[in-house]
Amino acid sequence: MSDYIVEMKHITKRFPGIVANDNVSIGIKKGEIFALLGENGAGKSTLMSMLGGMYEPDEGDIYIRGEKVQISSPNHAAKLNIGMVHQHFKLVSDYTITENIILGVEPVKKLAGIFPYVDIRSANRKIEELSKSFGLEVDPTKKISDLTVSMQQRVEILKVLYREADILIFDEPTAVLTPQEIDFLLGIIEGLRNGGKTIILITHKLEEIKKVADRCAVLNKGKLIDVLDVKETSTRKMAQLMVGREVNLKSDKNPAAFKEEVLKVEHLNVKNEDGFEVVKDVSFTIKSGEIFAIAGVADNGQVEIADAIAGLTKVSGGEILLNGKDITNESIRKRTEAGISYIPEDRQSFGLVLDFDLSTNLALKQYYREPFAKKGILNKEEFEQFGSSLIDKYDIRSGQGIKTQVRSMSGGNQQKTIIGREIELQSSLMIFVQPTRGVDIGAIENIHKMMIKERDQGRAILLVSLELDEIMNVADTIGVIYNGQLQKIASSESLTTNEVGEYMMGAKHE
Amino acid sequence: MDTIIIDGLSFALPLFIIAIGGIYSEKSGITNLALEGFQGFGAFIGALSAVLMANASGTDIQNLFYVALLFSMIGGMGFSIIHAVLCIKFKADQVISGVVINILALALTTFLTAQINSFVFGTASDKFQLGVSDRFTIEGLANIPVIGAVFTNVYPFEVIIIVIALFAWYLLYKTKFGMRLRASGENPHSVDAAGVDVAKTRFSAVLISGLLSGLGGMCFAYSISANFSSNIYMGYGFLAIAALIFGNWRILPTLAACLLFGFAKSGGAFIAQSMALPSSFTDLFMILPYVLTLLLLIFFSKSNRAPRALGEIYDKGKR
Repeated sequence: MSDYIVEMKHITKRFPGIVANDNVSIGIKKGEIFALLGENGAGKSTLMSMLGGMYEPDEGDIYIRGEKVQISSPNHAAKLNIGMVHQHFKLVSDYTITENIILGVEPVKKLAGIFPYVDIRSANRKIEELSKSFGLEVDPTKKISDLTVSMQQRVEILKVLYREADILIFDEPTAVLTPQEIDFLLGIIEGLRNGGKTIILITHKLEEIKKVADRCAVLNKGKLIDVLDVKETSTRKMAQLMVGREVNLKSDKNPAAFKEEVLKVEHLNVKNEDGFEVVKDVSFTIKSGEIFAIAGVADNGQVEIADAIAGLTKVSGGEILLNGKDITNESIRKRTEAGISYIPEDRQSFGLVLDFDLSTNLALKQYYREPFAKKGILNKEEFEQFGSSLIDKYDIRSGQGIKTQVRSMSGGNQQKTIIGREIELQSSLMIFVQPTRGVDIGAIENIHKMMIKERDQGRAILLVSLELDEIMNVADTIGVIYNGQLQKIASSESLTTNEVGEYMMGAKHE
Repeated sequence: MDTIIIDGLSFALPLFIIAIGGIYSEKSGITNLALEGFQGFGAFIGALSAVLMANASGTDIQNLFYVALLFSMIGGMGFSIIHAVLCIKFKADQVISGVVINILALALTTFLTAQINSFVFGTASDKFQLGVSDRFTIEGLANIPVIGAVFTNVYPFEVIIIVIALFAWYLLYKTKFGMRLRASGENPHSVDAAGVDVAKTRFSAVLISGLLSGLGGMCFAYSISANFSSNIYMGYGFLAIAALIFGNWRILPTLAACLLFGFAKSGGAFIAQSMALPSSFTDLFMILPYVLTLLLLIFFSKSNRAPRALGEIYDKGKR
């Protein structure tokens, strides 16, 4: 009997065109927080999916509590007290919290001794108790469609706890959360560990691992690189192992050389769907060779400014000038052609057609004009050539090259696809909204480099980000937004992180 | 007035039970255009068994009504296996499968009816004679003004349908089977993650839709048709689909839609009769339920919401 609660020995898993896990062996001790660190596509989720019963390994054995098992289904995993909190929530939005949690393990009572029915009432009570005991307070009778993302995640966690899991797998749990929510979640995870549960945390965020994890396994391209004691390892070392080379988190950049004015926004006002003014009298300019970043806490109007410039949202007042031309009421295509590239926040809904292949997605902004189309007929060869050249140029990794369905690609590579496509447009203005959200360190470094390179080539860049570090790192000029109003515009050298933070909270006024 | 209510109900209720069948299938995520074929095939099996038994034992075909109902349910369910296997096992397109099943049912039952008539009974007929089911009147209640008509000249099957509909509501909304079924139509991934077999759940849902449709078809054959022939394929199945869509895939509002159709039909017939119009005009009034369908479409299409995963082939790998 070993002292490991979970042991995976020599696990290999292959998918068409890719070896997701290559002879990986790990052991996890009872009552620890064990992190799996790796870039997107390193095989973390695949490895854990085999523990959760979604896949079975091609080679290798799994031991749970010392016994060899073949986990054939999520049901089987649940019987072994293994529960997985998925990255993509699996919830029925029309159902209440309780209904979602008890689905599959419904408590049944009998009416008049004959008619069995699902006992929602006692389930409600049980879930309320459960949620309180773990500090995850929810109202069990609320519908999922009325919940915020972080609340929905609580439901996913409760689902696992309700099934009495004592080995909990969290798959990239913080990818969709705000900084405050992340802190809260990490607190919950620590609480669970202290309550005797074993936690496996899949992530590519080093700070999180440093904060809560006890040990950490590093995966790279399907192979296990090392298992580390978190306390004794520096963040830098972990990053290096994960990416497989030295990572520079601080971008080197040449001093900016501003040239002519590219974008001029004057007295911009934007209303949201409910008619509220979410952008109020915002004015700024961006010059060629300048990275202008809008800093702010989420939902203060920054995304709306970007959308208004790109043409996704209607403007209720003010003017937008691009290279001296008024584009306030132009169509999106006209704006694109006038020189705007746009990297949207939600890459899956707005940036890509997930069921199209890679080459088509890469040509998505140019397909209608020559050489991609002649007299309205698409030229497939041109798509393929263009696609192949971009895959090389931007190092986009995928299972089957240009024929890969974009849906099957990792988040980081999806983002590279969009950025590559937008850079190729050679626009004078590039808008990046949260470009590094949910991508790993190696890719973040890459994206920052690309932005700076485009700046040096004379493009004007608008960056909207919630990551203050990112803004301080790459921006030349910072505009801080609070409650729809720009509080401060200044060069990044003249501001400290703390000052920006204060403007972001609306605490400091000019 | 009374005839409108009496005839309206006897039309609306079989329609209602077919629509409930449709709700089961669609709530589980399987688009079901095959209701028309299910009800026809179910009625065929029911009628055939009644005719054969009447012939063999010499009993009056009236007394075999309940036997026919039972067999129609078995027949409808058996026939629905085709749709279930095609859509779930072989992941075929659900619309195409439904349409093909309807054509198959019409062709197959018409052919078999004629063949069986000539070989077994030695008659050259394309129908099985059934007659109209006996009716009953609840004396006390029938004397109440207006609503009394509800209790006058009631077909026994109307009572059966009400009971089954109640049970269907209970099964769909109160049991764990129903909870899983509805979740399969909203987000099959969540059902799968909960360790419940999506395919099995959907399979049972389609079979239930076949069972209930067969019952509905049989009721039509024993009432307005008085026989089984290819006339059973009058579009009742499609009308039931319209009803369940107007009813927003919920049982009670679907009943309201079915009643509306029923009264439109009986009302149309009543107007045509009372105006003593030539028979060609009667046909014109018969289109009333269908015109109503078109009108309602305009008003209801916006606010109604189909199950989210309706018609979506469930593929575990898709993110």
